[in-house]
Amino acid sequence: MTIQVRGLRKAFKAHEVLRGVELDIAPGEVVGLIGPNGAGKTTLMSCLLGFLHPDGGSITIDGRATDDLDVRRRTGFVPERMNFGRSETGRAFLRYMARLAGVPRAEVDARANAMLERLGIAAAADKRLSQYSRGMLQRIGMCQALIHQPDFIFLDEPTSGLDPNGVLLVRDLIAEQKARGAAVLLNSHQLAEVEKVCDRVLFLGGGVISHRETLRHADRVVVAVTLLDGSFDAERVARIAGAAPRENVVIATVEHESDIARLVKELVEGGAGVIDVRRHTADLESIFRGAA
Amino acid sequence: MSGVVITETVRRHFTSVGFLSFLALLAIVSVGFAQFDRPAAGWPSLIVLLAIVTGAGPIGPELSSGTLQLILVKPLSRSAYLLSRVAGVVLAVWTAAAVAAACELLGRKLETAPEIGAALLNSMIEVVLIVSLLTFLGSVTRAYYNVAIYFGAQIVLALLAGFGRKLPPLVARAVTAVDHNLFPETPPRLDPDWLLLVACNAAVALVLACLAFRRREVPYGAE
Repeated sequence: MTIQVRGLRKAFKAHEVLRGVELDIAPGEVVGLIGPNGAGKTTLMSCLLGFLHPDGGSITIDGRATDDLDVRRRTGFVPERMNFGRSETGRAFLRYMARLAGVPRAEVDARANAMLERLGIAAAADKRLSQYSRGMLQRIGMCQALIHQPDFIFLDEPTSGLDPNGVLLVRDLIAEQKARGAAVLLNSHQLAEVEKVCDRVLFLGGGVISHRETLRHADRVVVAVTLLDGSFDAERVARIAGAAPRENVVIATVEHESDIARLVKELVEGGAGVIDVRRHTADLESIFRGAA
Repeated sequence: MSGVVITETVRRHFTSVGFLSFLALLAIVSVGFAQFDRPAAGWPSLIVLLAIVTGAGPIGPELSSGTLQLILVKPLSRSAYLLSRVAGVVLAVWTAAAVAAACELLGRKLETAPEIGAALLNSMIEVVLIVSLLTFLGSVTRAYYNVAIYFGAQIVLALLAGFGRKLPPLVARAVTAVDHNLFPETPPRLDPDWLLLVACNAAVALVLACLAFRRREVPYGAE
């Protein structure tokens, strides 16, 4: 496992915020961290980033301590609110962050320009950060976190303040990091967003990970197929899809995305009217309500 | 230490309108001070002021603004960052001191060079102590409390010194010793003992700052 947390405890005076958190994130995995306000998500993130010293338990990233400089070289972090010398230009800020992250001097400008372009703020690169909107600050926050192509990425509400285009962009960037093999921890209150990008979701409540939900399996795809009422024979559908329909919806598991079309074709040929097909994920809202 | 942090710190000072304006003012004032009989009569005080203003920046205010959290995830040890910031600030203020000394020297048509040179060296060492003390205070406090504590300590020590005769001799001696070490009065000429004392005290302040900063927790998101 890339990021491993065992029995993590952290208290502020008498208030115990984390009471034995267990967490694993593998390379190429995007894990969502959700929980009510005050649950300790930021505290957990701070411990993982080495900002806070745990009272007990252990955190290892690729087998090393969080303050190991090699781990830091491979770490990217986007805070919920970007604060930096507001009199700096976006480009100067990004160059400084890149140099600090260990990007070779010769590559800094090219990488900074590429990131600014990718995040859609190239036109504002030479403006001062004080002139940036909240969404632009969030975008440059993503730039500084990803410019050195980190292996361990910690995102705290990365889409907060972003317009829909920005949200889509962040979603794409996370998918790219996942494809690159980076381990990503996403702390967000936006359940729909978490559902779209995460492989697994951890619910932090009562100081522990009280609920774990796998949204995507690496080796199979789960789809929800909604059928036209009265158009199908339940037994036949069960034979084709491998699961019986419930309230006109059949939850089927296929090995690859390409198998979805074959499944739909077989259902239609079997006489069923198919109204809707979508990836099936856990209903995070219900989980959140139930666990909170 | 990190060359990137030192360079960036110096760069930021020399691209700051406030710093450049102060530098211009310092140059003009220093030429004016050349009319005084006593060499280096004025600009060392302005350099002290500049050292306090610029030395207040590292650590404490960065923690409160959230800047520090972005830096601390980078591959740079906390001590290296702290020392690099101090070095950058000191270099910027040293440049200002050199400009002031050069302007006065030009104003005096290169006369009294030894006196101005001594004042410059004294000023440079004093700057290191001021910036180190403020950085140490910044490493254990938030925002600009370091400046408040720095001035508060000076005021308290001055008040206590004023009550000198009424204080028990041991306490009075302790107050004098603390005052002498933290806020040493600059001698009019080169004094190797004074230079050594100030340099040692600055080194102690930096070691304490590094130790405090290494152990310090830097939470984010809940300022």
